Amino acid sequence: MGATFVITLREAFEAALLLGIVYTFLDKLGARAQFRYVTLGGALGVGASVALGIAVSVLSGPLLDFGPDLLGTIVIFVAVVVLTWHGWWMRQHARAVKGDVQRRIEDARGDHRIWVVATIAFVGVFREGAETVLFLWGLMTQAGVTGWGGMIGGALGVLTAAGLGWAIFHGGRHVSLLRFFGITSGLLLLVAAGLFSTGVGKLEGFGVLPASPTLWDTSAILTDRGSVGGFLAGLVGYRARPSLLEVLAYATYLVVAATLFFSRRASPTSAPGGTRQPARVA
Amino acid sequence: MRRFPVLFLLTLGCVALAAVAATAADVEIPVTIDKNRFEPSEIKVKAGTAFVLVVTNKDATPEEFESKELRIEKVIPAGKTMKIRVRALKPGTYPFVGEYHEATAKGRIIAE
Repeated sequence: MGATFVITLREAFEAALLLGIVYTFLDKLGARAQFRYVTLGGALGVGASVALGIAVSVLSGPLLDFGPDLLGTIVIFVAVVVLTWHGWWMRQHARAVKGDVQRRIEDARGDHRIWVVATIAFVGVFREGAETVLFLWGLMTQAGVTGWGGMIGGALGVLTAAGLGWAIFHGGRHVSLLRFFGITSGLLLLVAAGLFSTGVGKLEGFGVLPASPTLWDTSAILTDRGSVGGFLAGLVGYRARPSLLEVLAYATYLVVAATLFFSRRASPTSAPGGTRQPARVA
Repeated sequence: MRRFPVLFLLTLGCVALAAVAATAADVEIPVTIDKNRFEPSEIKVKAGTAFVLVVTNKDATPEEFESKELRIEKVIPAGKTMKIRVRALKPGTYPFVGEYHEATAKGRIIAE
Protein backbone atom coordinates (compact mmCIF):
# COMPACT_ATOMS: atom_id res chain seq x y z
CA MET A 1 0.00 0.00 0.00
CA GLY A 2 2.83 2.40 0.83
CA ALA A 3 4.53 1.74 -2.50
CA THR A 4 1.45 2.53 -4.58
CA PHE A 5 0.74 5.57 -2.41
CA VAL A 6 4.16 7.06 -3.18
CA ILE A 7 3.84 6.32 -6.89
CA THR A 8 0.51 8.05 -7.39
CA LEU A 9 1.39 10.90 -5.02
CA ARG A 10 4.44 11.67 -7.09
CA GLU A 11 2.56 11.44 -10.36
CA ALA A 12 -0.36 13.56 -9.20
CA PHE A 13 1.58 16.17 -7.26
CA GLU A 14 2.81 18.18 -10.23
CA ALA A 15 -0.74 18.41 -11.55
CA ALA A 16 -2.01 19.46 -8.14
CA LEU A 17 0.73 22.06 -7.80
CA LEU A 18 0.03 23.64 -11.18
CA LEU A 19 -3.71 23.62 -10.58
CA GLY A 20 -3.26 25.16 -7.13
CA ILE A 21 -1.07 27.88 -8.62
CA VAL A 22 -3.41 28.84 -11.44
CA TYR A 23 -6.51 28.86 -9.25
CA THR A 24 -4.72 31.10 -6.73
CA PHE A 25 -3.47 33.28 -9.56
CA LEU A 26 -6.99 33.88 -10.86
CA ASP A 27 -8.28 34.40 -7.36
CA LYS A 28 -5.70 37.10 -6.71
CA LEU A 29 -6.54 38.86 -9.94
CA GLY A 30 -10.18 38.94 -8.92
CA ALA A 31 -11.02 36.59 -11.77
CA ARG A 32 -12.74 33.78 -9.92
CA ALA A 33 -15.23 33.72 -12.77
CA GLN A 34 -12.50 32.08 -14.81
CA PHE A 35 -12.09 29.18 -12.41
CA ARG A 36 -14.36 27.19 -14.68
CA TYR A 37 -11.83 27.32 -17.49
CA VAL A 38 -9.16 25.85 -15.27
CA THR A 39 -11.59 23.21 -14.08
CA LEU A 40 -12.49 22.50 -17.69
CA GLY A 41 -8.82 22.20 -18.62
CA GLY A 42 -8.23 19.81 -15.75
CA ALA A 43 -11.35 17.79 -16.53
CA LEU A 44 -10.30 17.51 -20.18
CA GLY A 45 -6.92 16.37 -18.92
CA VAL A 46 -8.58 13.60 -16.93
CA GLY A 47 -10.75 12.68 -19.91
CA ALA A 48 -7.78 12.60 -22.24
CA SER A 49 -5.84 10.48 -19.75
CA VAL A 50 -8.66 7.95 -19.54
CA ALA A 51 -9.01 7.96 -23.33
CA LEU A 52 -5.30 7.37 -23.79
CA GLY A 53 -5.35 4.64 -21.17
CA ILE A 54 -8.15 2.89 -23.01
CA ALA A 55 -6.48 3.39 -26.37
CA VAL A 56 -3.23 1.91 -25.14
CA SER A 57 -5.07 -1.11 -23.78
CA VAL A 58 -7.06 -1.65 -26.95
CA LEU A 59 -4.68 -0.77 -29.79
CA SER A 60 -1.79 -2.72 -31.21
CA GLY A 61 0.93 -2.13 -33.71
CA PRO A 62 3.13 0.87 -34.50
CA LEU A 63 0.46 3.35 -33.42
CA LEU A 64 0.56 1.85 -29.97
CA ASP A 65 4.34 1.67 -29.89
CA PHE A 66 5.01 5.24 -30.94
CA GLY A 67 1.77 7.16 -30.47
CA PRO A 68 1.89 7.65 -26.70
CA ASP A 69 5.58 8.57 -26.87
CA LEU A 70 4.94 11.19 -29.51
CA LEU A 71 1.96 12.53 -27.63
CA GLY A 72 3.88 12.61 -24.37
CA THR A 73 6.73 14.55 -25.94
CA ILE A 74 4.38 17.06 -27.54
CA VAL A 75 2.63 17.58 -24.20
CA ILE A 76 5.95 18.25 -22.49
CA PHE A 77 6.94 20.96 -24.97
CA VAL A 78 3.47 22.51 -24.97
CA ALA A 79 3.74 22.67 -21.18
CA VAL A 80 7.11 24.44 -21.45
CA VAL A 81 5.60 27.01 -23.81
CA VAL A 82 2.54 27.83 -21.70
CA LEU A 83 4.50 27.94 -18.45
CA THR A 84 7.03 30.29 -20.04
CA TRP A 85 4.29 32.48 -21.41
CA HIS A 86 2.61 32.58 -18.01
CA GLY A 87 5.83 33.53 -16.25
CA TRP A 88 6.49 36.23 -18.79
CA TRP A 89 2.97 37.56 -18.39
CA MET A 90 3.38 37.78 -14.62
CA ARG A 91 6.55 39.81 -15.11
CA GLN A 92 4.88 42.15 -17.56
CA HIS A 93 1.92 42.79 -15.36
CA ALA A 94 3.33 42.61 -11.87
CA ARG A 95 3.81 46.35 -11.64
CA ALA A 96 0.65 47.20 -13.51
CA VAL A 97 -1.58 45.21 -11.19
CA LYS A 98 0.04 46.58 -8.07
CA GLY A 99 -2.23 49.55 -7.83
CA ASP A 100 -5.02 49.10 -10.26
CA VAL A 101 -7.72 46.61 -9.36
CA GLN A 102 -9.85 47.30 -12.41
CA ARG A 103 -6.83 46.79 -14.63
CA ARG A 104 -6.30 43.41 -12.97
CA ILE A 105 -9.70 42.16 -13.93
CA GLU A 106 -9.40 43.39 -17.49
CA ASP A 107 -6.01 41.83 -17.90
CA ALA A 108 -7.22 38.54 -16.52
CA ARG A 109 -10.18 38.57 -18.82
CA GLY A 110 -8.05 38.64 -21.91
CA ASP A 111 -8.76 35.62 -24.07
CA HIS A 112 -5.15 34.58 -24.13
CA ARG A 113 -5.23 34.44 -20.36
CA ILE A 114 -8.05 31.89 -20.42
CA TRP A 115 -6.23 29.76 -22.96
CA VAL A 116 -3.01 29.78 -20.98
CA VAL A 117 -4.47 28.82 -17.60
CA ALA A 118 -6.74 26.18 -19.12
CA THR A 119 -3.81 24.70 -21.04
CA ILE A 120 -1.61 24.68 -17.95
CA ALA A 121 -4.38 22.79 -16.14
CA PHE A 122 -4.73 20.35 -19.04
CA VAL A 123 -1.06 19.55 -19.55
CA GLY A 124 -0.48 19.40 -15.81
CA VAL A 125 -3.08 16.65 -15.47
CA PHE A 126 -2.48 14.88 -18.78
CA ARG A 127 1.29 14.58 -18.53
CA GLU A 128 1.24 11.83 -15.94
CA GLY A 129 -2.50 11.29 -16.16
CA ALA A 130 -2.56 8.39 -18.61
CA GLU A 131 0.02 6.46 -16.61
CA THR A 132 -1.81 7.09 -13.36
CA VAL A 133 -5.11 5.95 -14.91
CA LEU A 134 -3.58 2.74 -16.23
CA PHE A 135 -1.84 2.14 -12.95
CA LEU A 136 -4.99 2.59 -10.86
CA TRP A 137 -7.06 0.58 -13.33
CA GLY A 138 -4.59 -2.26 -13.08
CA LEU A 139 -4.72 -2.15 -9.29
CA MET A 140 -8.50 -2.16 -9.35
CA THR A 141 -8.78 -5.17 -11.62
CA GLN A 142 -6.30 -7.01 -9.44
CA ALA A 143 -7.95 -6.09 -6.16
CA GLY A 144 -9.97 -9.29 -6.17
CA VAL A 145 -6.79 -11.35 -6.27
CA THR A 146 -4.15 -9.36 -4.42
CA GLY A 147 -6.38 -7.44 -2.03
CA TRP A 148 -7.42 -3.84 -1.90
CA GLY A 149 -4.32 -2.48 -0.23
CA GLY A 150 -2.64 -1.45 -3.45
CA MET A 151 -5.73 0.28 -4.81
CA ILE A 152 -6.39 2.10 -1.54
CA GLY A 153 -2.78 3.27 -1.41
CA GLY A 154 -2.96 4.47 -4.97
CA ALA A 155 -6.24 6.31 -4.45
CA LEU A 156 -4.92 7.87 -1.24
CA GLY A 157 -1.89 9.12 -3.14
CA VAL A 158 -4.06 10.99 -5.62
CA LEU A 159 -6.26 12.37 -2.84
CA THR A 160 -3.23 13.52 -0.86
CA ALA A 161 -1.85 15.29 -3.90
CA ALA A 162 -5.22 16.98 -4.40
CA GLY A 163 -5.17 17.97 -0.75
CA LEU A 164 -1.73 19.49 -1.13
CA GLY A 165 -2.93 21.43 -4.16
CA TRP A 166 -5.82 22.71 -2.13
CA ALA A 167 -3.45 23.66 0.68
CA ILE A 168 -1.43 25.68 -1.81
CA PHE A 169 -4.57 27.48 -2.89
CA HIS A 170 -5.61 28.14 0.67
CA GLY A 171 -2.16 29.32 1.73
CA GLY A 172 -1.65 31.37 -1.40
CA ARG A 173 -4.64 33.51 -0.62
CA HIS A 174 -2.89 35.01 2.39
CA VAL A 175 0.14 36.04 0.43
CA SER A 176 0.37 39.38 -1.35
CA LEU A 177 -0.08 39.41 -5.11
CA LEU A 178 3.47 40.49 -5.85
CA ARG A 179 4.96 37.98 -3.47
CA PHE A 180 2.78 35.27 -4.95
CA PHE A 181 3.94 36.21 -8.46
CA GLY A 182 7.53 36.16 -7.24
CA ILE A 183 7.34 32.74 -5.57
CA THR A 184 5.43 31.08 -8.37
CA SER A 185 7.69 32.60 -11.00
CA GLY A 186 10.64 30.97 -9.32
CA LEU A 187 8.85 27.65 -8.96
CA LEU A 188 7.50 27.62 -12.50
CA LEU A 189 10.96 28.53 -13.77
CA LEU A 190 12.34 25.34 -12.26
CA VAL A 191 9.38 23.19 -13.30
CA ALA A 192 9.57 24.43 -16.89
CA ALA A 193 13.36 24.03 -17.02
CA GLY A 194 12.90 20.47 -15.77
CA LEU A 195 10.25 19.80 -18.39
CA PHE A 196 12.38 21.22 -21.17
CA SER A 197 15.33 19.15 -20.07
CA THR A 198 13.10 16.05 -19.82
CA GLY A 199 11.79 16.64 -23.33
CA VAL A 200 15.32 16.94 -24.66
CA GLY A 201 16.26 13.77 -22.78
CA LYS A 202 13.33 11.92 -24.33
CA LEU A 203 14.40 13.04 -27.80
CA GLU A 204 17.85 11.68 -27.01
CA GLY A 205 16.29 8.41 -25.92
CA PHE A 206 14.32 8.18 -29.16
CA GLY A 207 17.45 8.82 -31.17
CA VAL A 208 16.02 12.04 -32.61
CA LEU A 209 18.80 13.96 -30.92
CA PRO A 210 22.29 12.44 -30.81
CA ALA A 211 23.12 10.74 -27.53
CA SER A 212 25.40 12.95 -25.47
CA PRO A 213 27.79 11.84 -22.74
CA THR A 214 26.75 11.71 -19.11
CA LEU A 215 28.16 14.77 -17.43
CA TRP A 216 28.21 13.72 -13.81
CA ASP A 217 26.87 11.16 -11.40
CA THR A 218 25.43 12.47 -8.17
CA SER A 219 23.50 9.31 -7.31
CA ALA A 220 25.70 8.89 -4.25
CA ILE A 221 24.49 12.25 -2.94
CA LEU A 222 20.89 12.01 -4.08
CA THR A 223 19.61 9.16 -6.19
CA ASP A 224 16.79 9.93 -8.56
CA ARG A 225 15.18 6.62 -7.72
CA GLY A 226 14.42 7.26 -4.05
CA SER A 227 11.53 9.17 -2.46
CA VAL A 228 13.07 12.64 -2.32
CA GLY A 229 15.15 12.31 -5.46
CA GLY A 230 12.30 10.77 -7.41
CA PHE A 231 10.03 13.57 -6.29
CA LEU A 232 12.52 16.21 -7.40
CA ALA A 233 13.07 14.32 -10.63
CA GLY A 234 9.39 14.51 -11.43
CA LEU A 235 8.86 18.07 -10.32
CA VAL A 236 11.95 20.02 -11.35
CA GLY A 237 13.75 17.54 -13.55
CA TYR A 238 16.54 16.48 -11.21
CA ARG A 239 18.76 13.84 -12.77
CA ALA A 240 21.52 12.01 -10.93
CA ARG A 241 23.22 11.23 -14.23
CA PRO A 242 22.28 14.00 -16.62
CA SER A 243 23.47 14.01 -20.20
CA LEU A 244 25.28 16.96 -21.71
CA LEU A 245 22.25 17.96 -23.78
CA GLU A 246 19.97 17.77 -20.75
CA VAL A 247 22.24 20.00 -18.72
CA LEU A 248 22.59 22.44 -21.60
CA ALA A 249 18.83 22.49 -22.09
CA TYR A 250 18.22 23.12 -18.40
CA ALA A 251 20.86 25.84 -18.15
CA THR A 252 19.79 27.54 -21.36
CA TYR A 253 16.18 27.58 -20.31
CA LEU A 254 17.04 28.97 -16.87
CA VAL A 255 19.08 31.80 -18.35
CA VAL A 256 16.57 32.72 -21.05
CA ALA A 257 13.48 32.41 -18.88
CA ALA A 258 15.02 34.08 -15.85
CA THR A 259 15.64 37.06 -18.06
CA LEU A 260 12.04 36.97 -19.22
CA PHE A 261 10.63 36.47 -15.73
CA PHE A 262 12.87 38.58 -13.58
CA SER A 263 14.76 41.22 -15.50
CA ARG A 264 14.52 44.75 -14.23
CA ARG A 265 13.04 47.12 -16.67
CA ALA A 266 15.15 50.25 -17.21
CA SER A 267 13.72 53.13 -15.20
CA PRO A 268 13.85 56.68 -16.56
CA THR A 269 16.72 57.78 -14.33
CA SER A 270 18.96 54.83 -15.03
CA ALA A 271 19.39 55.42 -18.75
CA PRO A 272 23.02 55.78 -19.81
CA GLY A 273 24.30 59.33 -19.92
CA GLY A 274 21.58 60.34 -17.50
CA THR A 275 19.17 61.32 -20.27
CA ARG A 276 15.58 61.20 -19.24
CA GLN A 277 13.23 58.92 -21.10
CA PRO A 278 9.45 58.84 -20.89
CA ALA A 279 8.17 56.04 -18.65
CA ARG A 280 7.03 53.09 -20.70
CA VAL A 281 3.46 51.96 -20.19
CA ALA A 282 3.04 48.21 -19.79
CA MET B 1 3.61 32.84 -35.27
CA ARG B 2 0.40 30.99 -36.12
CA ARG B 3 2.15 28.62 -38.49
CA PHE B 4 4.67 27.54 -35.88
CA PRO B 5 2.53 24.95 -34.08
CA VAL B 6 1.52 23.40 -37.41
CA LEU B 7 5.12 23.20 -38.58
CA PHE B 8 6.18 21.80 -35.25
CA LEU B 9 3.53 19.09 -35.36
CA LEU B 10 4.33 18.22 -38.96
CA THR B 11 7.97 17.84 -38.07
CA LEU B 12 7.12 15.58 -35.17
CA GLY B 13 4.84 13.57 -37.43
CA CYS B 14 7.67 13.05 -39.89
CA VAL B 15 10.00 12.08 -37.11
CA ALA B 16 7.48 9.55 -35.86
CA LEU B 17 7.09 8.03 -39.31
CA ALA B 18 10.84 7.89 -39.67
CA ALA B 19 11.07 6.14 -36.33
CA VAL B 20 8.54 3.54 -37.39
CA ALA B 21 10.37 3.00 -40.65
CA ALA B 22 13.75 2.77 -38.98
CA THR B 23 12.51 0.22 -36.51
CA ALA B 24 11.55 -2.15 -39.26
CA ALA B 25 15.19 -3.04 -39.81
CA ASP B 26 16.29 -3.34 -36.18
CA VAL B 27 17.11 -6.45 -34.22
CA GLU B 28 14.19 -7.51 -32.03
CA ILE B 29 14.81 -8.82 -28.56
CA PRO B 30 11.87 -10.44 -26.78
CA VAL B 31 11.39 -9.69 -23.10
CA THR B 32 8.64 -11.03 -20.91
CA ILE B 33 7.16 -9.61 -17.77
CA ASP B 34 5.94 -12.48 -15.68
CA LYS B 35 5.08 -12.50 -11.99
CA ASN B 36 6.48 -8.97 -11.78
CA ARG B 37 9.88 -10.04 -13.07
CA PHE B 38 11.67 -9.43 -16.33
CA GLU B 39 12.73 -12.48 -18.27
CA PRO B 40 15.54 -12.23 -19.32
CA SER B 41 16.75 -9.78 -16.75
CA GLU B 42 20.14 -9.45 -18.38
CA ILE B 43 20.11 -8.51 -22.03
CA LYS B 44 23.29 -8.46 -24.07
CA VAL B 45 23.35 -6.27 -27.14
CA LYS B 46 25.85 -5.10 -29.65
CA ALA B 47 27.09 -1.60 -28.89
CA GLY B 48 26.56 1.00 -31.58
CA THR B 49 23.46 -0.64 -33.03
CA ALA B 50 19.91 0.39 -32.33
CA PHE B 51 17.57 -2.41 -31.34
CA VAL B 52 13.99 -3.04 -30.39
CA LEU B 53 12.79 -4.63 -27.16
CA VAL B 54 9.59 -6.51 -27.75
CA VAL B 55 8.09 -6.55 -24.28
CA THR B 56 5.18 -8.84 -23.48
CA ASN B 57 3.39 -8.32 -20.21
CA LYS B 58 2.04 -11.69 -19.13
CA ASP B 59 0.85 -10.36 -15.79
CA ALA B 60 -2.68 -9.15 -15.10
CA THR B 61 -1.49 -5.69 -14.06
CA PRO B 62 0.27 -3.01 -16.09
CA GLU B 63 3.96 -2.42 -15.69
CA GLU B 64 6.01 0.64 -16.48
CA PHE B 65 9.27 -0.18 -18.17
CA GLU B 66 11.65 2.54 -17.09
CA SER B 67 15.29 3.22 -17.61
CA LYS B 68 16.61 6.56 -16.46
CA GLU B 69 19.89 5.98 -18.28
CA LEU B 70 18.09 5.36 -21.56
CA ARG B 71 15.45 8.04 -20.92
CA ILE B 72 12.75 5.47 -21.60
CA GLU B 73 9.45 5.30 -19.77
CA LYS B 74 6.70 3.15 -21.14
CA VAL B 75 3.57 1.67 -19.64
CA ILE B 76 2.87 -1.86 -20.89
CA PRO B 77 -0.77 -2.71 -20.17
CA ALA B 78 -1.66 -6.19 -18.91
CA GLY B 79 -1.48 -8.85 -21.58
CA LYS B 80 -0.02 -6.49 -24.18
CA THR B 81 3.09 -6.63 -26.30
CA MET B 82 4.79 -3.37 -27.07
CA LYS B 83 7.92 -2.48 -28.93
CA ILE B 84 10.43 -0.16 -27.34
CA ARG B 85 13.06 1.14 -29.67
CA VAL B 86 16.41 1.74 -28.03
CA ARG B 87 18.96 3.95 -29.76
CA ALA B 88 22.49 2.79 -30.51
CA LEU B 89 24.31 2.47 -27.20
CA LYS B 90 27.88 3.03 -26.22
CA PRO B 91 29.47 0.04 -24.46
CA GLY B 92 28.27 -0.14 -20.89
CA THR B 93 25.56 -1.31 -18.53
CA TYR B 94 22.12 0.25 -18.58
CA PRO B 95 19.82 -0.79 -15.74
CA PHE B 96 16.06 -0.76 -16.12
CA VAL B 97 13.17 -1.36 -13.74
CA GLY B 98 9.48 -2.03 -13.71
CA GLU B 99 8.45 1.08 -11.87
CA TYR B 100 5.29 -0.39 -10.47
CA HIS B 101 7.07 -3.38 -8.94
CA GLU B 102 10.58 -2.09 -8.40
CA ALA B 103 11.50 -4.62 -5.78
CA THR B 104 11.31 -7.56 -8.17
CA ALA B 105 11.16 -6.13 -11.67
CA LYS B 106 14.66 -5.16 -12.56
CA GLY B 107 17.25 -5.93 -15.14
CA ARG B 108 20.01 -4.50 -17.22
CA ILE B 109 21.10 -4.11 -20.76
CA ILE B 110 24.75 -4.77 -21.40
CA ALA B 111 26.11 -3.25 -24.56
CA GLU B 112 29.45 -4.55 -25.73
